[in-house]
Amino acid sequence: MIALAGYVSILVALVSAIALTIQGWRISRTPNPDPGRLKIPAIGLAVGGVAAFSLLEIGLLTHDFSIAYVAKNTALATPFVFLLAAGWAALAGSVVLWGLMLSVFTWLVWRSVKSGDGLGVLALSVMGVVSVFWFGLMATAANPFAVCTEVANGFCSATSWLPIAATAAPLDGIGPNPLLANHILMAVHPPLLYVGYVGFTVPFAFAIAALIRSELGRVWLDRTHRWSLVAWVFLTAGIFLGGWWSYEVLGWGGYWAWDPVENAALLPWISATAFIHSAVVQRRRSMLQAWNFVLVITTFSLTVFGTFLTRSGVIASVHAFSLSVVGPVLLIFLGLIVFGSFGLFAVRASAVASSPRLDSLVSREGFILLNNLLMTLFGFTILFGTLYPLLVEAFSGREVAVGRPFFDRVAVPLAFLLVTAIGVGSTAPWRVATGKVLWQRTRVGLNVGLAVAALSLLAGVRSVALIAIIGLAAFAIGNIVAFYFHQSSRAHHGDRSWLSAFGSTINNDKGFWGGQIAHIGFALAAVAIGTTSILAVRTEVPLAVGETVVVEGYCIQYLEPFSRIEPVRNVEGARVAILDADCSSTRVVLEPRLHEYPRFGQVITTPQVWTTWIDDVYLSIAALDADGMRLKVLIFPFQWLLWFAGIMIVAGGTLALGRKPGRRSPTSKQGDRSEHADV
Amino acid sequence: MSDRRLNLLWFIVPVIAVGILLVGLWPGDQNIEDPEARAYNLSVSLKCPICAGESLAGSQTDLAKDLRAQINEEIAAGRTDEEIIDAFVAAYGEQVLLDPPSTGWGVVLWAVPLGVLAAGLIAIVGLRRKDRDPAGVKK
Repeated sequence: MIALAGYVSILVALVSAIALTIQGWRISRTPNPDPGRLKIPAIGLAVGGVAAFSLLEIGLLTHDFSIAYVAKNTALATPFVFLLAAGWAALAGSVVLWGLMLSVFTWLVWRSVKSGDGLGVLALSVMGVVSVFWFGLMATAANPFAVCTEVANGFCSATSWLPIAATAAPLDGIGPNPLLANHILMAVHPPLLYVGYVGFTVPFAFAIAALIRSELGRVWLDRTHRWSLVAWVFLTAGIFLGGWWSYEVLGWGGYWAWDPVENAALLPWISATAFIHSAVVQRRRSMLQAWNFVLVITTFSLTVFGTFLTRSGVIASVHAFSLSVVGPVLLIFLGLIVFGSFGLFAVRASAVASSPRLDSLVSREGFILLNNLLMTLFGFTILFGTLYPLLVEAFSGREVAVGRPFFDRVAVPLAFLLVTAIGVGSTAPWRVATGKVLWQRTRVGLNVGLAVAALSLLAGVRSVALIAIIGLAAFAIGNIVAFYFHQSSRAHHGDRSWLSAFGSTINNDKGFWGGQIAHIGFALAAVAIGTTSILAVRTEVPLAVGETVVVEGYCIQYLEPFSRIEPVRNVEGARVAILDADCSSTRVVLEPRLHEYPRFGQVITTPQVWTTWIDDVYLSIAALDADGMRLKVLIFPFQWLLWFAGIMIVAGGTLALGRKPGRRSPTSKQGDRSEHADV
Repeated sequence: MSDRRLNLLWFIVPVIAVGILLVGLWPGDQNIEDPEARAYNLSVSLKCPICAGESLAGSQTDLAKDLRAQINEEIAAGRTDEEIIDAFVAAYGEQVLLDPPSTGWGVVLWAVPLGVLAAGLIAIVGLRRKDRDPAGVKK
């Protein structure tokens, strides 16, 4: 019953999407396009999308094992949170979540389109095309409501994609992949990434509509500014939470492994970051018009590419959970998008190109161009490195792998350059920065950077690379903070308090200062990545019950083993106390564990972390038996700084959303201040 | 603080800082890295032969555990990093290298991104205003 209703919802959404595409196209060509005529398709799409997802969740929560997806991905004993998360933990479900977001976004865009707005109506038609693809996928190759028709040995042994077939339901389901049901964060980070992925459909749709209609000015940019930022913020949050999940769950102490699927999430983030920056240049200086089209089409293509990598199994990855016909279908869609969009772009290229008007490379726009160059290089190299094993195998038949050492060697120098560019470029004036202005705006940072670098050396840091990144980050942050004081001191006159001056500086230009908060977060993230990788201590110690060992000033004592049986897993663990360096008083007791999932024959090492202001002490069991255990003790200095940096980047992006599009700062006539308005 | 003292501060702080950095970072004896750090660095640059794209460090399989133990033993036995890597390549083939050698096909891996960098630099230089009108350029 649920399966049938769910499948009908998908068909409703699919038919609505087709109607939206065709009707939107036709209406956009009338003299006075009326979005009111798209009401039924827009609402039908949203209702279908919401209903399909809700029904899938109802099926999961009520254990309707006649639905093959429910029987495969959940069991009676699966905890509530993971029942809910099963809605997007596997292929077909994740496509439904994608469809839900896409249909709701389309509805929101429809509400914002006014009468006579041909660009908006055509953009809705483009969103209709994308929706046709996703709901078409759901109705065919990735049908989440396929039913179970035969049960053998308690498992669903045959399925039919037609939900009207006679069904048979196993008594219990198989349950979620243990790795995905071991930690609550798993339920959170994919939906955030998806909001980010799907959000870029909106600027893409407007860009394509602008190209088709030859409305090549900045209108499409202004109208999608918020959508791009919202998508970017969610993508950022999703990537950081994914890293945190990896750190908390995977037991080896890493948060980033340059796995192909991690790369797939990072790629659209990189091109979107480039786009957010270059869009500012177009709004301020009418440059880079063509480049912005390229970036927005690239970003959207990369979101589809990311889904393809995750869901096709083409590239070996821990994230590639499913092999199915969906892969080739996604590849065809990707091909259509890339060739269709860039073909359209090529046709319009001569009209799109804006005249060269870069006065000087040493200017705000010059540094944003540098950002774009570095981001493009970074993104391209990651893409190429990820696909390189496939290419080599295709051309020479040899098997090769590209991993962490290669990507690190590319990422580290680029991170140095980016932080430097932030330090100089964030506060540089538009058009031309004279030497005098540049010196005024960077000397505070130079001093702070050198002083902090020297202090970190005195504090015992010996790695040149780490001292350099700490110094560069301090340089960038010092310049931004000094500029903030400088601007606030202008607002601080008469009876105005400093507090209100600080507040109004940000209030008058949320776009710029939101960006600066994100910049500070980026610099802090670079420092945290440096400290946690260069200063990390990794050791593995044998411990008998009662025994102690001192690692880096932490006295670690094995108190006792424990075990318990939980509904879906057997837990074996060790209670381990961390004491003062002289082993006198207990500071905390941790319980690193091994989770055994008998049904899957899988054991998952579950680490436990103790976070202090200085170090993370990360305990993970390497081996555990009656005599004792081998305990991995990992120490990551300033690990919290990385998560804090992520929060700052997200907070900065959110603050920048407060910018009113097209509005200049009220003080923009006062010379210097207008330099940073709009950013 | 008076302006003069402030200017002095601008001068003294960087001089002291640069002095400290020069003295502290002057290339001295390269201290031998501790074996555990070496073992970790090796295990992140070698792929677990039976895993889907995971390094030896990241994998929880028994084989990866054994191979990590093997790396520890070989370091304890005094082998260099190159010797250990060569032994892995001999046993499992070139596909265990997560950092492909920059010879043969490996050249492409570096040459193509460098080409992109060059193209980008050329494009940015091409954006510079040709009809440069000094009067129109504000300070």
